[in-house]
Amino acid sequence: MNELIEIVGLTKAYNANSIAVNNISLTLPRGRIIGLLGPNGSGKTTLIKMLNGLLTPTRGWIRINGQPVGVETKARVAYLPDRTYLSGSKRVNEILDYFCDFYADFSRERALEMLHSLDIAPNAKLNTLSKGTKEKVQLILVMSRNADLYILDEPIAGVDPAARDYILRTIINNYNPAATVLISTHLIGDIEQVLDEVIFMRYGYLVLYTSVDNIREQHGKSVDAYFREVFAC
Amino acid sequence: MLGKLIRHEWKETSKMGCLLLFVVVLITLFGWLAFRTPMWKSISNGNASFSWLDIFSVLTLMMYVMMLAGINYGITIYLGVRFYQTMYTDQGYLTHTLPVTKHQLLLSKILVSGLWIFFLMLSLYLSVFILGASMLSLFLPQGYSLASLWRELGLNFGELLELIGEEMDFNVIRWLVTLVVTTILSPFATVTILFGAISMGQLFGKHRVLAAILSYIGIMVAVSVLSSVFRSILMFSRITSAGSYLNNSLDSSIIINLLLAVGLYFVSWHVTSNRLNMQ
Repeated sequence: MNELIEIVGLTKAYNANSIAVNNISLTLPRGRIIGLLGPNGSGKTTLIKMLNGLLTPTRGWIRINGQPVGVETKARVAYLPDRTYLSGSKRVNEILDYFCDFYADFSRERALEMLHSLDIAPNAKLNTLSKGTKEKVQLILVMSRNADLYILDEPIAGVDPAARDYILRTIINNYNPAATVLISTHLIGDIEQVLDEVIFMRYGYLVLYTSVDNIREQHGKSVDAYFREVFAC
Repeated sequence: MLGKLIRHEWKETSKMGCLLLFVVVLITLFGWLAFRTPMWKSISNGNASFSWLDIFSVLTLMMYVMMLAGINYGITIYLGVRFYQTMYTDQGYLTHTLPVTKHQLLLSKILVSGLWIFFLMLSLYLSVFILGASMLSLFLPQGYSLASLWRELGLNFGELLELIGEEMDFNVIRWLVTLVVTTILSPFATVTILFGAISMGQLFGKHRVLAAILSYIGIMVAVSVLSSVFRSILMFSRITSAGSYLNNSLDSSIIINLLLAVGLYFVSWHVTSNRLNMQ
């Protein structure tokens, strides 16, 4: 079975006038790095939250590894949200203990290596770290798992260009090649070189799902340029 | 996984729990010291006199009473805020992506929070008992000590219970057993009701904290109305004496709280399982 994610008729409506995701059907394979792209309010984060069980769909369903979103899928999905979800009063090594306890696929050695390469002290308290460093710690936690699906919501939005390069290298070097990485971002130019496929979303609708090579061959443009053309104001 | 959740929850709440236990020890010590001032000795001798030290004594005892109430409310508020933060704010993004069931999540929080309230309640009872004993020792007749009083009370305890039972038509043993059961169960019922009210707030699109507070107030009002109705029914049907009123009112109060706690546990479970909307 090559399909990793199966989404059918997925809709999330906050009220009658606010439909964040509108009747999306999509099947995503294993072993790809996929960009989830769209302007603000296009429904990317809402879709990601439903994949992680943080939002209840209004209609439709999701299967990951053939299972509905639940305990089994959460054990195999590594999720990086667009915010800091760690308690500031904890030390980095306490958070590593926490991940070791709950995620069977978490590698402490890999996490310690990455922390060392970024000069982050394992005994540092989280509330003493800068916003960018906290984001790096969260990325390290996610990329130290040997998951089937990595979902990264705006992983490079809040960091400087040098850190962006490091983060992209971390993603490429650390993800399980049989797994899929779904990356949501506005900064298409920065991540384009690592993407295999892209999903375009607008106003909650699926606009396009295709390979990066296809865009380059058919339209003779980079993903960034094509995105600007499709979503021109 | 439940064991791991409980271990981490205990570790994360232990700083505040231990701090509050330490405060109870501290205020008990100050309360005990307050009864050592000359004023209390002079009152017990029937020859009252006051000095500047007695102002300290009265203020300390006032502070003691306020601190007791403060600790009781303080731990409840702390646990409620912690539940809200770890379940329904940014930290909830981690909590709800752990590979654990919603029952495991809720049970770990209820068990640990209930245990902290239970330990603090026990420490408050013990503190009041120590202060009561300290005050009592001042008014004991010449030749009597607290130790001898306890010894006599212990020897005649059964007889005393029998006497109270006969005088008030009161089943003291049943009342004591219900009191112990209530003391053990009520901390867990309290946090389950509190967490249920916070979860009910999540059913609203906006102003979820306000909705949670209003839900909690609404539940408390409903409990007291229900209890009053229940007691009134008892008064007109089964109550034949003050003793049977005491027996039945304690029973009804624990039954109402337990039923409510079970109901609100399922509200929390339903919200986290089927209506979760992390913003």
